[in-house]
Amino acid sequence: MKRYGEHRFPGKLFIVEGIDGSGKSTQLMLLHQWLQAEGYGTVFSEWNSSPLVRDTTKRGKKKHMLTPSTFSLIHATDFADRMEHNIIPLLKAGAVVLCDRYIFTAFARDVARGMDSKWVRELYSFAVKPTVAFYFRVPLEVAMKRLHDGRNGFKFYEAGMDLGLTEDADESFRLFQSRIIEEYEKIVPEFEVTAVDATLPIEEQQTQMRQIVKAKLAQAKRLRVAP
Amino acid sequence: MKEPYNVLLPGMNLADLTGKLIVIEGTDGVGRSTQINLLKPWLEQQGRAVLDTGMTRSELAGKGIKQAKEGHTLGRITLSLFYATDFTDRLEHQIIPALRAGFVVLTDRYIYSLMARALVRGIDPVWIRNVYNFALKPDAIFYLRIGVDDLIPRVVFARGFDYWESGMDLHPSEDMYESFRKYQTSLLAQFDVLAEEYGFEVIDASGDTRTVFETLRSGISRVLSGEAREPIFSVPRAKSADEEAERVQVNENPDAKESRGAEKEDLENKDGKPAVHAFAKAAEGADNR
Repeated sequence: MKRYGEHRFPGKLFIVEGIDGSGKSTQLMLLHQWLQAEGYGTVFSEWNSSPLVRDTTKRGKKKHMLTPSTFSLIHATDFADRMEHNIIPLLKAGAVVLCDRYIFTAFARDVARGMDSKWVRELYSFAVKPTVAFYFRVPLEVAMKRLHDGRNGFKFYEAGMDLGLTEDADESFRLFQSRIIEEYEKIVPEFEVTAVDATLPIEEQQTQMRQIVKAKLAQAKRLRVAP
Repeated sequence: MKEPYNVLLPGMNLADLTGKLIVIEGTDGVGRSTQINLLKPWLEQQGRAVLDTGMTRSELAGKGIKQAKEGHTLGRITLSLFYATDFTDRLEHQIIPALRAGFVVLTDRYIYSLMARALVRGIDPVWIRNVYNFALKPDAIFYLRIGVDDLIPRVVFARGFDYWESGMDLHPSEDMYESFRKYQTSLLAQFDVLAEEYGFEVIDASGDTRTVFETLRSGISRVLSGEAREPIFSVPRAKSADEEAERVQVNENPDAKESRGAEKEDLENKDGKPAVHAFAKAAEGADNR
């Protein structure tokens, strides 16, 4: 069992982190488009998507059965399945792997829920270190405005309603997400995460991201020569 | 007063847990559930409320684990974490509430089986200990110990080989008998290491059901009456792989087995004092600080 550190696989791993409404998924989607156009074999691996674990997570969330510890462990189980069966084999095969959320999401959320920060970091020590990790830094108010424009209401766990901070979903979301931001700000220096100013225009953020990614793609496999 | 091994889970109040947490550990087929089925009515006859629990019995993850295991495609880290999820759900939703209500909690396996299984599969020992370091320290851990040669007829003649109990995920090229032997031998070696580290009370499970039951009964009576543990059951020294291989051979020789039994008694009675456990010493050290 290898511990967290630089991998020697031929593939590359780029991950994005940030609170809901930071625009990280949009940026990753744009990066994906570009990488494909450039001819790189690019694969997405989404947070919370392991088919083996998904039903359990869904049930736990639906019935509000999850406590901070089981919330943490079921997500770690899901992540482990994707790490063992998806991410590592893809990196071995030389793919460019893109992850929307990675272990830092768990560090931020679980600690915001009261889990011991050392315990959570050790829990995920089997993870491969990303080639580059991006953190989309955004003030809470900006993120909340974006979310309000896009949809109505927050989900129970997303708003941290399980913590019983307040009955009001909006207020709970605000309190919970600001705790998460605090945790992210500790993670950025600790794990050499690249912070991007997510209040900049979308194109500008994407230009920065592509420059950084391009510099790391030297030996990655291309499926075909770009037109 | 209950306490966790290391880390306290958020929102966990351990102040009013008046029940007793009693762990029955042992490898596959050693007779744990048979014993629990005897112990439960015995305790209830004395007016004690009993909760019995065991692996994959959580409402949250039990079903998911069973489904995932059918596919035989679980990675070793994933499997460990899935079990950890199941354990934690039972800890928070069954074990702790029962202890708060003053129950005797009899648990068929605890974190130690899960650790042993993970360790045999090459999981980092530091990592797996961290995963479970919020677990409550039990009031007693009874380990039903058996050698692989005594185990084989029990398991194989009673129910045949099981894919996971035979460690077929580890030795897929072997036939099930060879694989079972290898897998259970290394599992038992891991249990011996854990026995020492966590202070198991070791019970020889090669005897008949009645004898094992009587030993367990007196151990549990002692725990329930609040008496201190003494004299400590001897814990076999952790063995290297070579010694383990030797032990397996020696086991086939009944004379050698007897002489080992004598040696065991020696250890217990030396100076008329119970052997002080490394784990207990460490705990003392922590208290003094």
